[in-house]
Order: sequence, then C-alpha cells, then structure tokens
Amino acid sequence: MSTGVKNQLRVCALSVKYNIMREMLNKVTFLTNTCFMMLNNAAFIIQWLILFRLKGDIGGYTMREVMLLWGIACCSFGLSHLLFAGVFSLPELIIGGRLDPFLVQPKSVLLGVMTSSTRISAMGDLAYGVLVMCVFCFSVKRFLLFLLFTVTGAAIITAFALLMGSLCFWFVRGDVFGNYMVNAMVSFFTYPDGIFNGTARFLLYLVIPVGMAVWMPVHVMMEFDAGALFSVVGFAAGLSAVATAAFYRGLRRYASGNLMEARV
Amino acid sequence: MEVINAQDLSKTFRVKRKEKGMRGSFQAIFHPQTQMIRAVDQVSFSVEEGEMLAFIGPNGAGKSTTIKMLTGILYPDGGKVEVLGLDPTRKRKQLAYQIGTVFGQKEQLWVHLTPYDNFRFFGAVYDLTDSETERRIGELSEIFDLADFINTPVRNLSLGQRIRCEIVASLIHRPRVLFLDEPTIGLDPVVKESIRSLIRQMNREFNTTIFLTSHDVGDIEKLCRRIIIVNSGQIVLDDSMEHLKKHYMGRETLEDIIMEIYQSEGKVAMDS
Repeated sequence: MSTGVKNQLRVCALSVKYNIMREMLNKVTFLTNTCFMMLNNAAFIIQWLILFRLKGDIGGYTMREVMLLWGIACCSFGLSHLLFAGVFSLPELIIGGRLDPFLVQPKSVLLGVMTSSTRISAMGDLAYGVLVMCVFCFSVKRFLLFLLFTVTGAAIITAFALLMGSLCFWFVRGDVFGNYMVNAMVSFFTYPDGIFNGTARFLLYLVIPVGMAVWMPVHVMMEFDAGALFSVVGFAAGLSAVATAAFYRGLRRYASGNLMEARV
Repeated sequence: MEVINAQDLSKTFRVKRKEKGMRGSFQAIFHPQTQMIRAVDQVSFSVEEGEMLAFIGPNGAGKSTTIKMLTGILYPDGGKVEVLGLDPTRKRKQLAYQIGTVFGQKEQLWVHLTPYDNFRFFGAVYDLTDSETERRIGELSEIFDLADFINTPVRNLSLGQRIRCEIVASLIHRPRVLFLDEPTIGLDPVVKESIRSLIRQMNREFNTTIFLTSHDVGDIEKLCRRIIIVNSGQIVLDDSMEHLKKHYMGRETLEDIIMEIYQSEGKVAMDS
C-alpha cells in the first residue's frame, strides 16, 4: 500500500474516531439512541409474525428470509451511516458553500466529506442486523456472505446518496429530488421483492438500486449463485465509480459561499 | 522569487432572478431567468516570496472569489493562475501542502474537540509524523500563547482564542504562503493587535508570504507593505503603501484614502 493511501486512510480513521467521540460526549443520548434504534427495528418482527400467521408465504419469502432481509438492510444502512454519514448531508454542504474546508486540505475531498459526520443510532442498526442474522439463519458460509453483502450494500447506499446529492451541483433544489430518491430506497429495503412485478421491479433493481443492495444478496445467501454474487459486487463497484465521477465533475461547478459557518 | 502569478483571471457566476411576490415565483418555474455576474474580470498580478500584500475592496468586489481561485476552491472561467509554480485547479493537493488558509467567517476546527486534538488531526492531514506534530504544536503553542486553553474544547473558547487556534491549525505544516480572508473580523482591538503581531512575526521569522483580505484598515496599515484594491471584479490600484500615502498626501488617514478610491471607482463604474 502506498504512503499516500496509508495517510489518507489514517485521516479517514481519525475523522471517524473524532465523530464517534463527539457523539459519545453525551452518554445518555448515545446509549438511548443505540438501544431505541434496536427496539424500533425489533418492533417490526411483530408485524411480520402476524402477517405470516395469516399467510405462510409473502412474495416467495418465509419468516427466515424476511429476517435475513432485515439483517442485511440494517447492517448495510448502519455501516453506511456510521462511517459515511457526511454523504447524506452533501446537498446542504453544496448549497451552503461549505465544502471549502475540504478543498484546502491535501486529501481527497470526497472522503473528507463522507467521513465528516456519523449517525450514532447506526450502531443500533449494525448490532440489530448481526443479531437477527445470527438468531434466525446462522451458518458460517452464510455469515461470511453476510459480511461481504453488508459492505456491498453500504457501498451501494453511499454511492446512490452521493449520486443524488451531487445533483445539487447542477440543480438548485436538487436536494429535494435527491432526498426523495434516497428515502424511497430505504423505504423499499424491508419488503420482499416477490411482491413487485414488471416496471416496479425493473425500477427497484436498476434505478433505485434496492434489488442489488439487499434483495439479490438475500437470494444468494439462501441459495448460492456465483454469478449473482459477482453481479452485486460489480454493480456496487460500478455505481461507486459513477457516483465518484459525478461528484468530481460537479465539483468544478461548486460556487462556494460567504455564509458564517462553524464545523460542529 | 514569484510565488503567485495571476494572468487575466476571471470568474462568472450564474445567478437566478425572480420577479417579486408569489406571481414571480410561479413565473420563475415556467420562464426561469438568470443573470451572469462577473465576480472577477481579467485580474492580473504577481506576488513575491515574503511579501505582505493587502488585497482589499468593497463588499462584492471579488476579493474572496480571487482568494478561492488561488487556493483551488473555485475553478476560474478564464485566465491562468500559478501559486508556487502549481496550477491550483490541477494540482490542488500538492499545493495544499504548501499553503495555509484562514477564513475569518468560516471555521475549520472541530468545535467539540480541544485545540490540541484539532492540531493532531491537522498534523495527520498534512502527513506529519506524531513526533513532528508534537514538536510543531509545542513551537506554535509558545508563539501564539495557547498553553492556558489548548486542552479546552474549541466551543468553549472566546472568539479571539478560536482565531488564534485557526491560524495555528493553518500553520501546522509550515506553509510558504498564508491566505488570510478577514482574519480579525469580530475581534476586539487588543486581540486584533495581538493577531497582527503574530502574523508579522511569522513573516519575519519564516519569510511566509502573507496574502490578506480585510475591511479593517488597521490590519492593512500595520501589516502590509503593498496594497491591491479591487472593485467590480477589476484591479483599480496596485501600489506600495508608502507610494500610496505619498500620492494622497493631505488625507488624514489611510481609511480616507481608501474611501476616496472606492468612491471615485464606484462613480466611474456607475458612469460607464
């Protein structure tokens, strides 16, 4: 690994560490945020238990698959929001002209922005996801796949948020459309893909990439398919590359600003 | 040796326009109107190593836009710029290792951390080893007299203490050129004077080139030997402080001279 990459990773690690230190300043908020996020996620188990009592199979999913879906969705979402929560604030940073501090540092602007904040409730999501996976459908092979798909899922969520956030370089209120798209992705995460057909299914696989982030990984973990696995990894890498290119292309249009700001 | 060279540097912003009221808002949806604002218009100048230059002008004159193009924050629309022989848009990272920036209106520090932790972070950003960072914090802490509050979270510091920490953070990597954009904004006269004396010391001891924008005449008069005045995106005066005062002999203060130049240039702009 080159010295430049090592130094960049050192700065990213410090940034994440300082973010977590900031969130832990208030112990009560930190603990309640983490615990309530786990409870909030767990509350949906009841909803699914009732549904599966009424109908044995929903969209081709049984309780086990639904729990695996929740596990991968929570872990991917949690990992993305724990390490790269800054990307979800990108529209505000662009509109408010607050990218300046990142641009005067001799490091990657994108990684600086991405690691500039964290969402501490994401720890609850991560812990819940792993717990659900271990309780409902554990096997060593499945767990290793689970770890891989958590990373690809987090990459897809982060890259999609980056792509949508970068729209603000071109459109003044691109943040509204971008936020709708990111929220739509998160909303569809925990529904079985079998209930969607035709255009909706196409859109949810390729336009709002829910399918590649969580649905296809669930299918691979239940029934291993090397082709599908490589498709997910390839899609995550491709989307990340496109989003990065869009960000740097848009950065040329960045207009900065003179608002009084503080980095908090 | 020349450290900054700008040739015909230009930057235009496209700004949306809207007629007043709700009707105007609806019209803007179907017939959006935009206006091109020439923030910097073919500006050319150069700065020698070790110089202390005041780059001043009224609000909206293009000072901050110019500084942002020199530091790689903004892409110029036209012209050519080199800082320390590097093009800020193409070699932004390489240049950042050799320059420091302080924006009085924007904080770069993490406010929940102590200045010490902040300096450690900036040490890592500039690839300094832990021991180098420690040594540098020690030196700068002594020069800027930070010992009393170096372990107090930034959010609990006074504005003057914060600005001192901002300057230290921008000096951690020994920059050759320091860009200061209104560094004394909002500070009381005593703290202002102490900041100025520290900047002078930096320039004297390390031959750091200082590129300063400020509305405070005291900053300009007490720090800079050369002054560039911009108005409506163009340079209207580039002269030594000594020559400027001689030329406008009879005016009581530098503030009077600057006011006269602003007003005469404003009148010319309105006439044209």
